[in-house]
Amino acid sequence: MTMLSVDQLNQVYVDTYTGEATVAIEDVSFDVPEGQFVSVIGPSGCGKTTVLNIVAGFVDATGGTVRLQGSPVSGPGPDRGVVFQDFALFPWKTVEANIAFGLKTQGVGKVERRAKAQEMIDLVGLTGFEKKYPHELSGGMRQRAGVARVLATEPAIMLMDEPFASVDAQTRRVLQQEVLRIWEQRRTTVLFVTHDVDEAVFMSDRVVVLSPRPSTVRADLSIQIPRPRSWTDMHTNTEFVRIRRELMTMLGVETGVETGSRSAP
Amino acid sequence: MTVVEKLRPRARAASTAWFVSPFAVLLAVWLIAIPAFDVSARTFPSAPAVWSAFVDLATDGDLTSHVLTSLGRVFAGAGIAVVVGVPFGLLMGMSAGLSAFFAPLLRFSVALAGIAWIPLATLWLGYGNNAVVFVVFNAVFFAIVYNSMLGVRQTSTSLLRAARSLGASRWRMFWEIYLPGALPNIVTGARVGLGFAWRGLIAAEIIATSTGLGYTLFLARQYYETDVIILMMILIGILWLIMDRLILAPLERRTVQRWSAERRERA
Repeated sequence: MTMLSVDQLNQVYVDTYTGEATVAIEDVSFDVPEGQFVSVIGPSGCGKTTVLNIVAGFVDATGGTVRLQGSPVSGPGPDRGVVFQDFALFPWKTVEANIAFGLKTQGVGKVERRAKAQEMIDLVGLTGFEKKYPHELSGGMRQRAGVARVLATEPAIMLMDEPFASVDAQTRRVLQQEVLRIWEQRRTTVLFVTHDVDEAVFMSDRVVVLSPRPSTVRADLSIQIPRPRSWTDMHTNTEFVRIRRELMTMLGVETGVETGSRSAP
Repeated sequence: MTVVEKLRPRARAASTAWFVSPFAVLLAVWLIAIPAFDVSARTFPSAPAVWSAFVDLATDGDLTSHVLTSLGRVFAGAGIAVVVGVPFGLLMGMSAGLSAFFAPLLRFSVALAGIAWIPLATLWLGYGNNAVVFVVFNAVFFAIVYNSMLGVRQTSTSLLRAARSLGASRWRMFWEIYLPGALPNIVTGARVGLGFAWRGLIAAEIIATSTGLGYTLFLARQYYETDVIILMMILIGILWLIMDRLILAPLERRTVQRWSAERRERA
């Protein structure tokens, strides 16, 4: 079953000062079947985050439609949980209250809320940090809380916008494996935006490659690496190496050509 | 952690010492300079004269009632300003339409806030408490509204997006996102506003009443009682500092500083 369907998305920015129109997204279409982990990658400034923001309902597209389980979406909603690059945890709420916030807005009772939040806290490995405030946690732990906050409300799809870009390289590897571990348990549909080719290949069932601006879908690759996956044997995995090379070439990383244009405001 | 906890009382004592020392120096200069330059009491009172004025006023009971009257007016006026101004400012921050409409009026009113309203306040409300409270309210209101609005504007986009995508209603956004998000600015607004409140109070008491510290301050001029004038000025300064330390600083410590990595030791 198709969970998310992005159809002929088009986005034009008009500079309010110069009046100049910039086509950020020319024509982007792709589907995400239920339970699949799909990454969107592309050179910087290609509009991949804009695609995610449109799916999330934060930004209105100039043209095209986004459908979730067949019905068009407009505006943000709890059916599409978002994990942010800057974590976006509420600084004035404890870890537990952050994770329970979505349940609270849905009118879930206090006892049930607490039980569910605790379940999520245990799932992401934050046991013992329930009463801490976000600033007391490391970047990696904050993003664990960010993932738990989204999973608590059991959204139809989890949207992740370069979720590991704000943490150090080692923590990133750990979080990638952690998120996969959690995902393998729950099989929530995921749309994952990243500029990191290794990350995209490691995590995903499919990788959608966007062209430089104005963006179109340049390739849509299926990744047949068996799960569970782990970084320890990934660099010797022939499938990983092959797809990684293909993507690197496509994005011009290995030839040293910078295909990205400057990012839009 | 334990090191920090052990250091805390000592750090606090040091910060208190730093806070008190300029006043101690000022007092010493005052004690020495008045007799040394033979300054007449009509120009500037000596420290012992101010002290005895304090003892006189305190023992005959008038001082306590003046202090309580003035404090009551500041609390009433500032309290109403916070209760009305914070929601109004938050709503302005939340709605582009509201802020577009009210922003020019707010800007126009900045120079007029407080004291300029005394003539109308006395015409509308007569002489007495109500007029003074109105002026205090008016002086505080704009600082509160402006800073509350600013607080909403400075709340990060991703926090707002996160709350919306988690299904927060407007009402919940107001209480759980905009209000706490704007709190650092609201505290700043309250601090600025309370300064305006005391200035407004003094001016209004001079004109509109026959009680309070401002009134006593001005009345003393007629009898050349510079000791009472200085005493009132010192008392107002101290009351303001006490309000700041007893109400605003703890509020800030319990909220803003608890939520953020930066823990500033306030002077």
